[in-house]
Amino acid sequence: MNMIQIHDLRKNFGDNQVLKGINLTVETGQIVGYIGPNGAGKSTTIKILAGITSDFEGDVSVLGMNVRENPIEIKQRIGYIPEQAALYDVLTPIEYLRFVGKLYQLSDENILTKSTELLRLFELSDKSDLRMNAFSKGMKQKVLLISGLIHNPDIIFLDEPLSGLDANAVILVKEILSQLKKAGKTIFYSSHIMDVVEKISDRIIIIDKGRVIADGSFEELKQNASQGSLENIFTALTGGSDQHQETAKEFMDILNSGQHG
Amino acid sequence: MDKFLLKFLLAIVQKFVRNGIDFDRLKIITETKILMDRRRVHVNYNKQKNKDPKNPLLITLIVYGLFGFFFAIMIFTLKSIQLSMIFFHAYLLVMMAMTLITDFSTVLLDTTDNQIILPRPVNSRTIFVARMIHILVYLLQFTIALSILPLIAVFVTHGIAAGLVAILTTLLIVTISVFITYLLYILILKFSNEQKVKDIIGYFQILMTITFTVGFQVLPRLIDFDQIDQSFSLSWYSYFLPPVWMALTVEAFKELIFDPLHLGMITAAITVPIITFWFMIKYLAPSFSRKLGAMQNSDGARKKKVTDKKESRFLSERLSPLVCKKEVEKAGFEMVWKITGRDKGFKMQFYPGFAYIVVFVFIFVFKSGKNLSSIIEDLPNSNGYLWLIYLPVLTVSGSITLVAFYEQFQAGWIYYSTPIKYPGQIISGAIKSLFLKFFVPVYSILFIAAYFIWGNQIINDFVFGFFANAMLFMLTAIFGEQSMPFARQLNIKMQAGKFVKFIIQVGIVAAIVAMHYFALKINWLIWLLILPAMVATYFMIKKIQNYRWRDITI
Repeated sequence: MNMIQIHDLRKNFGDNQVLKGINLTVETGQIVGYIGPNGAGKSTTIKILAGITSDFEGDVSVLGMNVRENPIEIKQRIGYIPEQAALYDVLTPIEYLRFVGKLYQLSDENILTKSTELLRLFELSDKSDLRMNAFSKGMKQKVLLISGLIHNPDIIFLDEPLSGLDANAVILVKEILSQLKKAGKTIFYSSHIMDVVEKISDRIIIIDKGRVIADGSFEELKQNASQGSLENIFTALTGGSDQHQETAKEFMDILNSGQHG
Repeated sequence: MDKFLLKFLLAIVQKFVRNGIDFDRLKIITETKILMDRRRVHVNYNKQKNKDPKNPLLITLIVYGLFGFFFAIMIFTLKSIQLSMIFFHAYLLVMMAMTLITDFSTVLLDTTDNQIILPRPVNSRTIFVARMIHILVYLLQFTIALSILPLIAVFVTHGIAAGLVAILTTLLIVTISVFITYLLYILILKFSNEQKVKDIIGYFQILMTITFTVGFQVLPRLIDFDQIDQSFSLSWYSYFLPPVWMALTVEAFKELIFDPLHLGMITAAITVPIITFWFMIKYLAPSFSRKLGAMQNSDGARKKKVTDKKESRFLSERLSPLVCKKEVEKAGFEMVWKITGRDKGFKMQFYPGFAYIVVFVFIFVFKSGKNLSSIIEDLPNSNGYLWLIYLPVLTVSGSITLVAFYEQFQAGWIYYSTPIKYPGQIISGAIKSLFLKFFVPVYSILFIAAYFIWGNQIINDFVFGFFANAMLFMLTAIFGEQSMPFARQLNIKMQAGKFVKFIIQVGIVAAIVAMHYFALKINWLIWLLILPAMVATYFMIKKIQNYRWRDITI
């Protein structure tokens, strides 16, 4: 079954066209890494898929339902985790998860059991009754991750899920994503961390300037681009390799032109 | 003015304190600090003004100038220089200490220095002097704003000698207030952590606003300056108070009295501030910086952070099932209950409004000009309790507008990513929460007070009043913009066309109060009116609950 189906997706912000006709389908149980340079349209695509942005052109369906017509039904069955750890941080993790759980209409017992257990898993048990305004970005990101999964969604949309997490948490999240895949969940996520995308994605979609420029498994992309790592493939496809070298050289020239101190 | 003062202070440092100071770096650090202060975003919910936020410091300085104006008038009118100078110096001491604790805490508690400047090649003496200059720029601005008009009044009323001495004593009393502030901070830091300090500062800010609101409305009506002026005398313990030292010093130079008492006071006025200043520079300021630095580096503060296990959590979670049916509504009820008790921005804007209840009661009770005992005697025969019934809702309904705004409004994304079909349910939960948390307790207290004065006859009025207020509360919510709680940016401009809605709303309130007033004599009619008020409230809640996304302002 196609969990996600996008046909000719276009989105403008004023005169700026961010998405210029995206077409793609995602099947059940796939882990899709959605990568691209800053401003390529990754977050915009994810927000449209999650039913947060409804002002777009084209046809988008998630779980076989049109996102414009059935946003509530879709939101009930998906999880969305944004990049920015924006949450009501005067609340404690337990209180915040209770709040989110109730928005998903979960029972009190269900919320309490799941949030307590998940907080324990993320090593936040001893902080479950502390207000989050003293938390680091990584700790808040963990709470966000739990809040997006607490209702056991079928599809999970993650926008830069690893930003701000420490090395241990990154490994844990990678492992959780693999487990979610094993449980038949579909995962669609954007990330800047290429080696993670390379290792855990079944499929990698590279987007640049609002268009899909590559789509396939890591092996397929490597074959087509005849480059070693995903980072090299990405740089080659987004036309950055020469430009990056030139910028770095210019940077050093400017540094060397002045004096010390 | 800040730029001018900065240049002035830098010039002094360049001329007199050259030792060990890197002047170029000092200049750039202090200039950048002043620039950052000017750009700092301040909490401002006052969206009705339809203007961009002004420089908040400038507004504070103008308000302080106005306070100074009142004290200048007092100096002109009071005959006793001793009394007027005690008032003036006490006012300076209190205002400076309060200002330092509230408005100035960001400068005193600024630990960004440790992260930004310490890793750069700047010596510690330069950093210390930069911090002192930064603080002095503000102190001088506040001092000038507070004291310029009263000082002019001293020059005009008491002569040049008294005026010049008063300038000196002004600076001396400010030194003492800085010392008191530092001491207070250090004491708090000693027994708690940075978060606690910030919480305490928050409470101080609320207290200060309430004090000013009540003080400026009520005090001038209570104090009979003429009477005090004629019968003023100092008690023995007064001589231990800094404002008295300063006042007697000014008096000594005006009247040329140099008896042992005045000489003693002059000595105290000069030596105590100098000693405190030395003590501050030598011990308090460095230990304060160390303490702040240590706090930032250690994780210890975090471990001591506020736990909310037994706080508002249980109460809101127990109440929500009693007043809310749907899970989503309960979510709105609980989160608003919890956040309104913790968000400083909300508390700062909302709680001072309660001061108006005191002010209004005072004005209505005392407007007759009769003395207190005859007013109290007449009260049981009056309809005064009608004010008590309808006053709290005027203040509490302000919370409906405030609850939409939040400094970290981005956290509101959660409403849009979760399956909420009727966002009105969140809003109705929020409104029920505000009504229960803020209106009901105040109304209950007023009812008890009224019951003691008026007895059984007011019960039906208060029962009807409860539902009439609930109705007005819901009406305020319906007439206002529909926003999700804590999800809108501060300083958003008011939309056009709201004024007409506001007028209609005021009209309805006036009509309900008028109806109640005319029904006062007919007991059974009041009982009869309770039912329609209940039904109207019920349907209004239903209306709010049925709001869909298209009705919500995002």
